[in-house]
Amino acid sequence: MIAAVNQGANSLRPGRAQIVFSGVTLNLGGKAILEGISLDVKPGEFLCIIGASGCGKTTALRLAAGLYQPTSGTVAFDGQAMLAPRRDIAIVFQDYGKALLPWRTAAGNVSLALEASGMAASQRATRIDELLKKVGLPNHAGKYPAEMSGGMQQRLQIARCLAQEPKALLMDEPFGALDAMTRQGLQDEVLSLVHASDATVVFVTHDLEEAIYLGDRVIGLLPHPGRIGIELQIDLPRPRDQLTTRENPEFLRLRRELFDFIKASEA
Amino acid sequence: MNRSVLYWRAASFAVAAGFIGLWQFIADQRLVSPVFLPGPDRAWASLVRGFASGDLLDKLLGTLEHMAYGWFVASIAGIALGAMIGSSRTMRSYVAPSLEFLRPLPVSAVIPVAIAMFGLTQTMALFVIAFGAIWPMLLATIHGFAAVEPRLYEVARSLHMSRLAVIFKIALPSASPDILAGMRLSVTVALILSVVCEILAGLDGLGHWVLLSARSFRSADLFAGVMLLGVIGYLTALAMSLVEKRLLKWRSSGH
Repeated sequence: MIAAVNQGANSLRPGRAQIVFSGVTLNLGGKAILEGISLDVKPGEFLCIIGASGCGKTTALRLAAGLYQPTSGTVAFDGQAMLAPRRDIAIVFQDYGKALLPWRTAAGNVSLALEASGMAASQRATRIDELLKKVGLPNHAGKYPAEMSGGMQQRLQIARCLAQEPKALLMDEPFGALDAMTRQGLQDEVLSLVHASDATVVFVTHDLEEAIYLGDRVIGLLPHPGRIGIELQIDLPRPRDQLTTRENPEFLRLRRELFDFIKASEA
Repeated sequence: MNRSVLYWRAASFAVAAGFIGLWQFIADQRLVSPVFLPGPDRAWASLVRGFASGDLLDKLLGTLEHMAYGWFVASIAGIALGAMIGSSRTMRSYVAPSLEFLRPLPVSAVIPVAIAMFGLTQTMALFVIAFGAIWPMLLATIHGFAAVEPRLYEVARSLHMSRLAVIFKIALPSASPDILAGMRLSVTVALILSVVCEILAGLDGLGHWVLLSARSFRSADLFAGVMLLGVIGYLTALAMSLVEKRLLKWRSSGH
């Protein structure tokens, strides 16, 4: 990867794209889910994918993760074809309750990723502390997921993903099940975590404002079959702020444009 | 401990004491001949005498040994087979019909087969006990492995976890509540079959003791043996539920 000079999520490094979809079509059970998707994601970019439900946004993310293989076309990461999931691509699932190990404590869940990467047991404890602190759970290391709120569980899943030291973070409606306040808090935390780690992010959401608030670029999918219908560059200043960014006339203009797009796509 | 728990405990204790009192009353009034029914006092005395002479202890250890070996073999085989069958959809569809045929087979029908094969030996007892005790464990393990959250397998894939790590860190702990429930059920089955095998094959154990006592009309000894079997059943079930509670701490926690 390119040297980790912290240029902020907004200023993209030049050079070739990190995640490349070329003419990707996916059929599942004889039905076309995605058709002819071509897409470049640059290193360090924050890309948001929106679309009406059933348009294949989650499917696109699973292709990027290597959990699905395209029927035709290719998905590549750092110039290599994605034939299987990679350890340096982390996925944050929406259903945190199912993605965490209920029999392991918060520390144990983070440890799972460290164990898989072959880190020596003696080094894990320090790293786990660091990661839990990073996501705001420093005092919950000994708690089981069942003892934590939804927001805390999602932070824990993010901590486990960060333990993979990912070059790319794929997030599938990560805050979809959370209440509005928790959601806004987590949006800002994700922005600062990503800013600090320099990772590329692909973020799927059905919340248009969330997409504009977080992204460098927003892509909207049209349903049946899923294909790219709109692409918007988001040039809102960073760091973003829950109040001022959302009141920015440019934000409102973009929101209007996406809203119209979704309405037209559902018609 | 709050008051209602205390109350219920006291009530259950009173009921148990009531039964023993009734038993003593029936025996004292000779409503049933003392040849067949000793009072709790005589049964207790026989129990103490049996342990003092060491006879009963030997029998107790014999039964525990049969039970433990059979249960151990059944556990290992049940969990290993259950894991193999449960974690593969193909295996499940191939093997399930055969299991459905074997499972309802009464173990008592297997005993003559085992005797024909192994004679009246310890091996026969081990086979019968293990055969009977494997079912609850096997079926529970299959279910546990089949019900692992698919999302966790995706997590494992994205972490590039090894096959062995997936089994020991994800599938096995996920199936552990089912496995432990199966083990709890099968420990009771193992006790029942230990007694049956001892009676049939004359193997050293409480089953044999009970049979001989009944044949020679030593009703106090007979009851002492039966009481001891009840205690084994109770204590093993209690031990299993304590182990379950300890291992499944993560389940009970929460709001």
